[in-house]
Amino acid sequence: MTRWFENHQALLSGCISFAVIVLVWQLTVDLGLVKAFFISSPSLVAVEFWRQLMSGELSTNVAVSLSEFACGLGLALVVGTGLGVLASWSRTLEYILEPFIWLGYAFPIIAIYPLFIAWLGLGEPTIIAIAFIFAVTPLYANTLSGIKNADADLIRAARSFGARRRDLFLKIALPGSVPILVAGLRLAVGRALTGVVAGELFGAAAGLGYSIAYYGDKLKTTAMMVSMVLVMIFGVILTQLLSLLEAATDSWRTGPGRS
Amino acid sequence: MSQIELRDVAIEYRKPKSDESFVAIRGINLSIDKGSFVTIVGSSGCGKSTLLLAIAGLIPRARGSIRVDGRDVAGPGRDRAMVFQEASLLPWRSVHGNVRFGLELQRWSRDNVDQRVAHFIGMVGLGQFADYHPHQLSGGMRQRVNIARALAVDPDVLLLDEPFAALDAQTREVMGNELLHIWEHDKKTALFVTHAIDEAIFLGDKVVVMGKDPGRIKDVVEIDLPRPRTTAMLDSAAFVAYRRTLRDYIAADMQSLQMIEDAA
Ligand SMILES: Nc1ncnc2c1ncn2[C@@H]1O[C@H](COP(=O)(O)OP(=O)(O)O)[C@@H](O)[C@H]1O
Ligand SMILES: [Mg+2]
Repeated sequence: MTRWFENHQALLSGCISFAVIVLVWQLTVDLGLVKAFFISSPSLVAVEFWRQLMSGELSTNVAVSLSEFACGLGLALVVGTGLGVLASWSRTLEYILEPFIWLGYAFPIIAIYPLFIAWLGLGEPTIIAIAFIFAVTPLYANTLSGIKNADADLIRAARSFGARRRDLFLKIALPGSVPILVAGLRLAVGRALTGVVAGELFGAAAGLGYSIAYYGDKLKTTAMMVSMVLVMIFGVILTQLLSLLEAATDSWRTGPGRS
Repeated sequence: MSQIELRDVAIEYRKPKSDESFVAIRGINLSIDKGSFVTIVGSSGCGKSTLLLAIAGLIPRARGSIRVDGRDVAGPGRDRAMVFQEASLLPWRSVHGNVRFGLELQRWSRDNVDQRVAHFIGMVGLGQFADYHPHQLSGGMRQRVNIARALAVDPDVLLLDEPFAALDAQTREVMGNELLHIWEHDKKTALFVTHAIDEAIFLGDKVVVMGKDPGRIKDVVEIDLPRPRTTAMLDSAAFVAYRRTLRDYIAADMQSLQMIEDAA
């Protein structure tokens, strides 16, 4: 039992602090410190959650946002890592792509949103494009730097055993860059989610971001909160999944096991 | 019969941030007999690693010829395997995976590879640790893995670049003894770089003394001590005499270094 507590301490503490926040939130409204109009309340949100679930509104919004998220991230994964690998082989390509990467990090991409609407229309393709652009930068940059910074000592040792280019890539550069690739994925997941929600806030016909904007306009705080909480829950679930992935790819650090 | 032949070898490096080149070693002539254990000593920076890397075929030479068994060295080859100073194990592979690495790269047939790997892991005394990863091993154990990896590909020539430099004195002595033990088994030609004089004498049939500015061979000292070598020999009159000779050579290098520093 004590072992269980030790192993799940982080999870337990997280749940407790979450419960405390919910409790304080509810009490603040119940005691009349702040009007429910401004911050709603957990019980109101729960009731509204149920209503949206029953009407099918909730599942539509979730499905739309998730599919946009998956498409944007999936595309970014293929293009970002693909270009990263290619750029690690070709200096020219790396130099050609470099300005875009600086832009991707430094430029508020959402500012060119109207252009996307002009090209792709109001709706899913535009949202996917935004999520893609948000997510592709760290995937590309981390793939490139992971492969380029392959350990020179390891490469020399491998060459002494007659390694070919393909061996150096598959047996040294790639496995050696797993940690930084996963770190890039972690960034990309967060950015793709932000891209989807931000895109939907500005213009869409369905989705969690759309729902937030829609009810926000109508000053329906409680209905708006339902989608906000859902976005938060997705954020937490995705982060947890990534931690699992990190642990799985890093298992050689934590215990014996054959390669 | 000499197996490795170096004739007038020079190696140059590009100086950082310029087009000039820097002569690391030059005028290297050396013959190494098949099955002999040759050690190379010299102060740091005199080009010991450079020489070894050139024989391994990992760096190009500016002039001269290097032949192994009569064949010109144009790159790495199956006839040579190298043991590096440190940090050359794949951290994400187990001991087994690391020893297997060289065999995979040399495209050994898969049939008996794992058995072969296990055999060499056993030979360096790590049978119990096959599933461990490098970060779970001591420095001495890591170098055993390095040695097993090189032996596993069955090279004719073993090139060792200060393999024990990062180890404490006791471990170093034990490892030296074990290396000799393994070597006496199948007498592969061994070229062993060290900056420790005692180690060079204890292990070698010949000690190649290198000097610097530019990197060159100062002398080759034949070590006439019987094999198997024992720790008791470290205090023998012959050993002490060899030690004195070699120390004088190296001290001369250190003095010239001191003069450069004084002048600066
Ligand atoms: N990759 C390199 N580029 C430029 N100079 C190098 C390089 N490797 C070694 N050198 C220089 O060559 C000389 C010999 O180095 P090295 O062979 O490593 O010496 P040792 O192994 O005897 O300590 C040193 O002066 C060193 O600075
Ligand atoms: Mg060296």
